[in-house]
Amino acid sequence: MIPRSPLSLFLKVLMGLFLLFLYGPTLTIMILSFQGPQGGLTFPLKDVSLHWFSSLFQEQRVGDIGSSFRRSLTLAVLVMFVNVLIVVPAGLALRRGFRGSRVIFTLTIASLVVPSILVSMGIGLLFSQTGVEANWYTSGLGAHLTWTVPFGVLIMIGVFARLNPTYEEAARDAGASRWQSFRFVVLPIILPNIVGVLLFGFSLSYDEMPRTVLAGGAHNTLPLEIFAMTSNVTTPVLYALGTITTLVSFVVISLTLLFITLARRRTGAVKKA
Amino acid sequence: MQPQAPKRPLFERLLPYMQIAPLALLLCFFLLIPLVMIVTVSFWNYNGFQVVPDIVLFNYTEMLGSATIWRTLFSTILFTLTTLAVTAALGFAIAYHIAFYVRTPLMRTVLFMACTIPFLTSNIIRMISWVPFLGRQGLINSMLMDIGLIDQPLDFLLYSRFAICLVYVYLFTLFMVTPLYNAMSRIDRSVIEAAIDAGATPVQIMFWVVLPLCKTGFAIGAVFVITVVMGDFVTVRIMGGGHSATTGYLILNQISLLQYPAACANAVMLLVVVMSAIGGLLRGVDIRKAL
Amino acid sequence: MPTKDVELIGLTKRFGDSVAVKAIDLQIYEASYCCLLGPSGCGKSTTLRMIAGHEEVSEGDILVKGRQVTWQQPSKRGTAMMFQNYGLFPHLNVEENVAFSLRMQGVGKAERSRRARELIELVEMQAYLHRRPHELSGGQQQRVALARALSTEPSILLLDEPLSALDPFLRIRMREELKRFQRELGITFIHVTHSQDEALALGDQVVVMQDGEIRQSGTAREVYDTPSNEFVARFIGGHNILKTETGTVSVRADHMDLHVGGLPSEAGARARLGQVVALEYQGSRIRVTVSENPDQDEARHVVELSDRSFYAAPANPGDAVGISWSAADEHLLAPTHA
Repeated sequence: MIPRSPLSLFLKVLMGLFLLFLYGPTLTIMILSFQGPQGGLTFPLKDVSLHWFSSLFQEQRVGDIGSSFRRSLTLAVLVMFVNVLIVVPAGLALRRGFRGSRVIFTLTIASLVVPSILVSMGIGLLFSQTGVEANWYTSGLGAHLTWTVPFGVLIMIGVFARLNPTYEEAARDAGASRWQSFRFVVLPIILPNIVGVLLFGFSLSYDEMPRTVLAGGAHNTLPLEIFAMTSNVTTPVLYALGTITTLVSFVVISLTLLFITLARRRTGAVKKA
Repeated sequence: MQPQAPKRPLFERLLPYMQIAPLALLLCFFLLIPLVMIVTVSFWNYNGFQVVPDIVLFNYTEMLGSATIWRTLFSTILFTLTTLAVTAALGFAIAYHIAFYVRTPLMRTVLFMACTIPFLTSNIIRMISWVPFLGRQGLINSMLMDIGLIDQPLDFLLYSRFAICLVYVYLFTLFMVTPLYNAMSRIDRSVIEAAIDAGATPVQIMFWVVLPLCKTGFAIGAVFVITVVMGDFVTVRIMGGGHSATTGYLILNQISLLQYPAACANAVMLLVVVMSAIGGLLRGVDIRKAL
Repeated sequence: MPTKDVELIGLTKRFGDSVAVKAIDLQIYEASYCCLLGPSGCGKSTTLRMIAGHEEVSEGDILVKGRQVTWQQPSKRGTAMMFQNYGLFPHLNVEENVAFSLRMQGVGKAERSRRARELIELVEMQAYLHRRPHELSGGQQQRVALARALSTEPSILLLDEPLSALDPFLRIRMREELKRFQRELGITFIHVTHSQDEALALGDQVVVMQDGEIRQSGTAREVYDTPSNEFVARFIGGHNILKTETGTVSVRADHMDLHVGGLPSEAGARARLGQVVALEYQGSRIRVTVSENPDQDEARHVVELSDRSFYAAPANPGDAVGISWSAADEHLLAPTHA
């Protein structure tokens, strides 16, 4: 290790400030979401109440939070599974190699780096010009997948590159068919990674907004609803919503990390994914 | 008896294609065709009510002749460069601290996760959470007034270019931390020890040993930052308060005015700018190796 | 005449433009311990993997027990492989690892558990049935790997550098055990190694490879006593390569004589004069390196003496000495291929 020096002290302080910078604002709005009924968007806290949380569920005041929340959850679950079903086979194919794999790989990267607004707009145009009705579960699903799938493919390429081919050779020696070798050897070994991809897909989709904006159809997902609210809602109800949706994300992340840690402990794999 | 290599069964040969088909179809229908669609529509005509298929260059000539478009593009590029500079420096410092000064692997993982987890939460909420800090009656202004540093609240804090850049850094530094940390954790510890033995100071190690080995990390981080900032419209709208614009924001406005072909021409320009920047950055970078 | 367990005929492996294995022919007799020996990159592992069916053959044939298996699936060849780092399934415990092939064949739970336990007892790992691979030491993992490989009842066991991951003490213990297993099971072991000691200690048949070709194949004693060319003599170690009028010859280092203070008159042409450049004390033996000319690598010769004969007339580095050998210990080498 590099010896301690003024540099290390500087970096340590910077790290601390950075964490404060990262989490401070989020914690602040969590506190402010318990603002009293008379309170505003900033400190001081005038009383502590659950007022803004309860008004969140009174639909007439802040728009259709309930249904957009349900929509977003459903879409995220949908994306999560479709994502894995696309990404795992793709990882297997890219590992073996095939004609045109470079093109597919380049397109996958392109899907990640083309600005979201363009993907959104293109999908929106495609649906409107072909006369197919755009919907969160059709065009919206596709738009979300263009965002989640590249991450998934990159993760799977990394996972398969690290997967020791000896395991599969040993399975073939033991007379396992290609399917058996996948089902009983590869799948259990990469399961923690697959759970990771599931989580990633869910979280990315649940909070996705720029790719949905022009491709999501008439019914808003939660992030779109929040985006709309930012221009006309000036009460801490926005913070209450933020607190809830951030908690949802954190619960999903924690559950997944927990699962991955337990699974890793079982096989004694200490290296990170 | 001269056995020949038996032909692999048809299924075996087709298997990779079947496995890649879902991905290929997705990319085709939700990326390739939509982008082709944008290029096509950029040549179409339109009036106040509808879009008319046609081949006109009008949208491009008008765009290239418009001072607003150029000013907006310039401003977008400026946002991008500012964000790149700050996130690269900050991201490098943070990744460096975690990779080389945090001693236990567990603590390294925890800190690294702490830096990346916000990526999986809502960006909009994270933007809004700056409002109680930056507003006229926000924490920063009231603090500065309390200690007597200013008598009037500072107006540039919220709804300004400053606020936009601050939030870009806030949201996107993790795009730099992740690939840089990844690059640093691949550096063989003996390389660092050899540098120490050679008498390099900690600062020299950072700049002459680690920094050059992080080129790929910087390139990948920059790609992400460029693509999100160049295409941004959300942050500009929420944090800019209508005083600033980016190309992405402009496109969204044009669409709300139903000027689809104009928006498409703008989109093509944005695509060309972003893709050439990224193409330049990724030249000579093997992404697969960085995974 | 003993029957052949494995026969390789013109076996070739190409990777793109490079040839890893060049049309080798090899016969391995029934129930023997065969070591494929060579430096890294000589094609020994590739050969083993082709026999196992994990590497596609470019040209040539592989026969196992007289049966053509060149294009057969690994599990149908009657071979089983013990992998270099064992390749134990990390998500399965010892018993499940060993029972894996039975499970693939659809053998019922009770039956496969019974048969797996038999094998686990054979390798004396019954105390660790429910451990996972990462909870075992290197030597224990190796026993489990052996049991797993044996679970398919192979007639040929293929071992890829099986001892390289172990520490030196364990390596020698496991070496003895491998030999014992091979004798008790009465099946052929083909063992790939880059260690001369290992090959000589284990192999009934030692096959020395270089650059994708077989340089010599024979019993351990044949290979050590009568290396067929310069490469084998150098690689197997313990030999001096000497240029004489009759050609290039090899003489074992322990068959050389050292003369402190000049050569005896009867030495004749089978002698050299030089300077001691290095002395190595090796316990029971002393290794003396004598150089005729410090600028030439080929002019260095090694004399190995028992400690008694060395200390009877000790030499020191820098001393002028003579070395000699007798005609009977001289072995003529074939010219080495490029």
